[in-house]
Amino acid sequence: MFHSSFDAVVPMLCVALAALAVMGAEAFRSRGETMPVGGLGIVGLIGAAVSSALLWNRNAISFGVIVADNFALFVTITLVIVGILTIMFSSPVVKRDGLPKGDFYALILFSIVGMMMMASANDLLVIFIGLEIMSIAVYVLTGIRRDDPRATEAAFKYFLLGAFSSAFFLYGIAFTYGLAGTTRLDRIGAFLAAQSMSDNRLILVALGLLLVGFAFKISAVPFHMWTPDAYEGAPAIVTGFMSTGVKAAAFAAFARVFLSAFEPFSGEWAPIVWWIAVATMILGTVVGVAQSNLKRMLAYSSIAHGGYLLVGLVAANQVGKAAILFYLLAYAVTNLAAFGVIALLGTKNAANDELRDYAGLWHSRPALAGLMTVCLLSLGGLPPTVGFIGKWYIFSAAVGAGYYGLAIIGVLTSVISVFFYLRVVVMMYMSDQPATVVFPPVSTVGMAALVASIVVILALGILPTPVLNLAAESIATIF
Amino acid sequence: MLALIPLFPFIGFLINATMGRRLSKGLSGAVACAAIIASFAVAVMSVLQIAGMPADARVLEQVVYTWIASGDLSLDMTFRLDPLGAVMILVITGIGSLIHIYSTAYMHDEIDSEFARYFSYLNLFAAFMLVLVLGANFVVMFVGWEGVGLCSYLLIGFWFKKQSASDAGKKAFVVNRIGDYAFVLGMLFLFTQFGTLDFARLATIASAMPVEEGVFGAISIATLLLFIGATGKSAQIPLYTWLPDAMEGPTPVSALIHAATMVTAGVYMIGRNAVLFSHAPETLFIVAVIGAATALMAGTIGLVQNDIKRVLAYSTVSQLGLMFLAMGVGAFGAGIFHLYTHAFFKALLFLGSGAVIHALHGEQDIRNMGGLKKFLPVTYWTFLIGSLAIAGVPFLSGFFSKDEILYETFHEGHTMLWLVGAITSFLTATYMFRLVFLTFHGERKGSGIGDQGSGHDHGHADPGSLIPDPGHAHGSHLHDAPPAMALALIVLAIGSVLAGYIGVPHALGGHNQLAAWLAPSFQASAAAPGVGGGAELFPQAEAAEEAEVISEEEAALELTLMGVSSAIAIGGILLAAFIWLKRRSIADGMAHRFGGLHRLLLNKYYVDEMYDATVVNPIHVVSRDALWRGFDVRVVDGAVNGTAAIVAAGSNLLRRLQTGSVRAYASSMFVGVVVILGYYLWR
Amino acid sequence: MPETLIFYLLSGLAILTSALVIGQRNPMYSVMLLIASFGALAGLYVTLDAPFVAVAQIIIYAGAIMVLFLFVVMLLNAPHEDGAEWDRAHPLRQPGVGRFGALLALLLVVQLAWALLRTGSVDVPVTGAVDAETISSVRLVGRTLFTDYVFAFEATSILILVAMVGAVVLAHREGDRG
Repeated sequence: MFHSSFDAVVPMLCVALAALAVMGAEAFRSRGETMPVGGLGIVGLIGAAVSSALLWNRNAISFGVIVADNFALFVTITLVIVGILTIMFSSPVVKRDGLPKGDFYALILFSIVGMMMMASANDLLVIFIGLEIMSIAVYVLTGIRRDDPRATEAAFKYFLLGAFSSAFFLYGIAFTYGLAGTTRLDRIGAFLAAQSMSDNRLILVALGLLLVGFAFKISAVPFHMWTPDAYEGAPAIVTGFMSTGVKAAAFAAFARVFLSAFEPFSGEWAPIVWWIAVATMILGTVVGVAQSNLKRMLAYSSIAHGGYLLVGLVAANQVGKAAILFYLLAYAVTNLAAFGVIALLGTKNAANDELRDYAGLWHSRPALAGLMTVCLLSLGGLPPTVGFIGKWYIFSAAVGAGYYGLAIIGVLTSVISVFFYLRVVVMMYMSDQPATVVFPPVSTVGMAALVASIVVILALGILPTPVLNLAAESIATIF
Repeated sequence: MLALIPLFPFIGFLINATMGRRLSKGLSGAVACAAIIASFAVAVMSVLQIAGMPADARVLEQVVYTWIASGDLSLDMTFRLDPLGAVMILVITGIGSLIHIYSTAYMHDEIDSEFARYFSYLNLFAAFMLVLVLGANFVVMFVGWEGVGLCSYLLIGFWFKKQSASDAGKKAFVVNRIGDYAFVLGMLFLFTQFGTLDFARLATIASAMPVEEGVFGAISIATLLLFIGATGKSAQIPLYTWLPDAMEGPTPVSALIHAATMVTAGVYMIGRNAVLFSHAPETLFIVAVIGAATALMAGTIGLVQNDIKRVLAYSTVSQLGLMFLAMGVGAFGAGIFHLYTHAFFKALLFLGSGAVIHALHGEQDIRNMGGLKKFLPVTYWTFLIGSLAIAGVPFLSGFFSKDEILYETFHEGHTMLWLVGAITSFLTATYMFRLVFLTFHGERKGSGIGDQGSGHDHGHADPGSLIPDPGHAHGSHLHDAPPAMALALIVLAIGSVLAGYIGVPHALGGHNQLAAWLAPSFQASAAAPGVGGGAELFPQAEAAEEAEVISEEEAALELTLMGVSSAIAIGGILLAAFIWLKRRSIADGMAHRFGGLHRLLLNKYYVDEMYDATVVNPIHVVSRDALWRGFDVRVVDGAVNGTAAIVAAGSNLLRRLQTGSVRAYASSMFVGVVVILGYYLWR
Repeated sequence: MPETLIFYLLSGLAILTSALVIGQRNPMYSVMLLIASFGALAGLYVTLDAPFVAVAQIIIYAGAIMVLFLFVVMLLNAPHEDGAEWDRAHPLRQPGVGRFGALLALLLVVQLAWALLRTGSVDVPVTGAVDAETISSVRLVGRTLFTDYVFAFEATSILILVAMVGAVVLAHREGDRG
């Protein structure tokens, strides 16, 4: 117990130290001096990525509760990418909106620590702590623009409902502990495997409550109601961050808990997740069609994407599990880039996030319009972008596992969803710019982040094989 | 080398998309034309290369790279050129080049950036279309399939200022999505059933399976789904409604995308999977019936439309119906033959109509035309040749291909379908010559030039184009097509006359080289390991193999049918001449006497209205009113939208939370919890 | 038997006081009732042979945290909500949503109770040596906390740090910093 190695916690330690460094740098700077705090954060994140790469295939375990298996490392690297892109997109936004720089970056980094904890925890209690670290940081980030009543309201709603869902999650952990006498996932799995024949309803209650907790974080229907409000109210870049990072971390933990510990009861949870997936895909898509605010539309779109990920979870075959990882990465980069564009186009006083604000963007900001088009096509799952590969992989997993219904509904909703993505594209190319919208000049760092994401989107769409293999490798060692 | 064919136009797209705004019109037009002509050159070289190979091994393959290789999922980015693909790429790049050249003159009124935007779309379209036909498996084909849809959508709505244009774009898109949905499902289904999506391997596997006669097995389901996809792209019942509206796009686009190439993708797809479809006779029968029904229906609508481009659009739908009829009766070669000849004369007709519209400054209503023959001689004569070809007048290209379809239909025993095809031919001849006579003959209507030009097709985007260009047809008389346009018209007219001579039937002493050329594409490749025949399933292959031993009776039958269809074509033309040249009052009288029928046709059988009432509006209501307004927004409206007014901190915030949304949201979650637990406890 | 009686007494008290917390007009009363509720919980811990947890409960929750709450309430000088407003705004008096929530809560209670009753005794695999002496010992709690749960324990410090940063970010007034 005591001679356990620290290896597995090194990635999150890097990020945590970076967060502390950011806080320190801001605290001790003299008036008027500017600190490269964003750079510090990126250094920490790169450290996390490097250490993850070194830990690959080693299955390191620290303290018995943090496992650095390939699954965790894949998600960790995804989170690092999310973090780096977020920081790059944020740098002009922080300056423009006059946000508290040090606090902003520190909160981003701390919430990434929480996310990494969720992705690599082998213990329900640690998952919960990670979830709370992540959530509290994100609640605050949502309301970080205190002069904007919409943001304050969004943060408050998100906080209240998040606390509500945490209560259910904690209740689920309590029941699980009460039954199994442990919070370690592997021991719970062993206990449940022995119990799988008995008609123990209490296990199902615990299962249901945990399910609710995760469903809230991935904004699955009917636990999605907070999503559009929170996403619309938060600053665009924070929305991008929470629609990708939070979702990735929650899905990683969700997959680990339900595919390892609760695997013996997959016959019990799969039907429920089936229905949740269907409702999520349909509601996200159908309601998305009616939106006229870009952030709100992308909020519903991200609900729908959660539904596709759930399809992979239900399918739960080798392809399905790998597909979840690949899709998470694909979706994270794409969605973050789309929100990045929104963030770069906003000004301090006008968010410029209504659909009509994008009319004729092609004429005023051709590069941004072009890059945004690629993001939207990828979200819509059109080849040759990464979104297409992700969807193809997910749906072929569903069909392979015999879930024809899910595949049919999934394809249908993704076909419908292209409608609202393309509406934005059309707006950008096919209308004249109204004189009222004034777009700010675009910063170099933001543009660099955007170009980098687009390169990833296209590269993974055209040459997905190495990453697909990594994803397959990641799930091979566990589950 | 094959990869170069789509690559050239793609490079053209990149240049015009990134730098086009800074390029002059001449330069961006030259870039686009050079790109497509380079692609045409490579295409010709590739086709010559496979033509030099032995007949059963005419395949050129290039694995660009392995796209996806993970677990049992393996997918190559492969281009493959076979005889069928050869015909397609020549049509696409050849006619595409002409239309690019034509466009440089036609779009000359646009400002520089719009001009570049137009050509970047056009090049991108060509690239995707070439990917579609060169793709060696379904997924690569799908890349092209989606891509051409996207370009079509962008080009239909090119003149977005017009509400009708952006609506048409939207409609095309939505209708095509329905088709694509079925197409993706078909692909997924095939993949799970056969474990591969490579066309050659699918054909090999399918040829070893029994024909699904009278049963609806896996192949039938898959092919049916694919066919539904084809009905979307190729504008067949029930998904044809977008094509006539698509005429809101610039006319060269209508010629290229909505007549010659993209809309034939469905026909091509069936031809590409001929082996699969032949193993599903039930699907094939559906294909034939849908094709025949579409042909007839669109032909009747075409008879009464007054917009020159709409008549041509319905004519396209109708001709596509004939192609599907050919595919449905198993005459794959005949269908592709018609696709190929149709590309020439329909492109010609559209470009001709474009020249007319160009000369009249946007006028599209044929009732306001007339007497243009002497003003626009080049346009008139080329248009006339196109009309003769499409009508099926003997020894022009349309005659051979249409006749082959009708002969095969009859020969396969589908007498009723043959009758429908014959009636369609008659209608085609009639409405085409109605168009010719109303447009070019008679007296010049509409005194001024451009006085009726309601900005239909021209005089749109920028104010600059509304200012008359002195050297540009705003003088006292009409100008015929400028050189770039005339060139395209004349080349296409020559093509419309001669294109059919590669498929002269044996009954006329020809050798039907095209059928022999295409035959290997419609059977499982003999080169594939472990595959024997499969040839016995294909009338075409049979025809090709037993080329010279065609029996006396069959030849006689074919000659008889040829006589009948020639008579039909000429009869149709004479009828049109009688009504619209001699006694125009008859037309009005008939319209009056059969008022109900006339209105029904004029309103296109009210299909759009029906779709609106049964499909579009309900979806709208569900999305906007029920799910969003009722479920998600009603609780939000009061809170979020009112926020701006209530700018304050704590107490107000808490009060607002008390009056609504959060509690409702929490209730929603709570319901979820109770339902999930309830399911587990009471199950 | 007396153990059972005490259990029901204490848990009844805890439920009753908790319910009263949300039913008070005066926030001061609410805080007091919450302290009572915590006290009852502490009593429950004692009956479960966990005196350390019971003491911690009293010191930390009923003591420190509740004192903080009282300070906040008094500093804010929260007014007594006036009767009419209270009557109008009370969740249970709202049409629809409020009462619906109460109904759902009731349903959840019934479900949980039913599940617990239907499940007979469960063999809980308890880890470690169990006897009356060790289970109550502070030593064992400390040892477990710094072995099995050491990571969770340390991670909590980040959680608290984040919460503090968040509180500062949201609470500080504009212009506090240069």
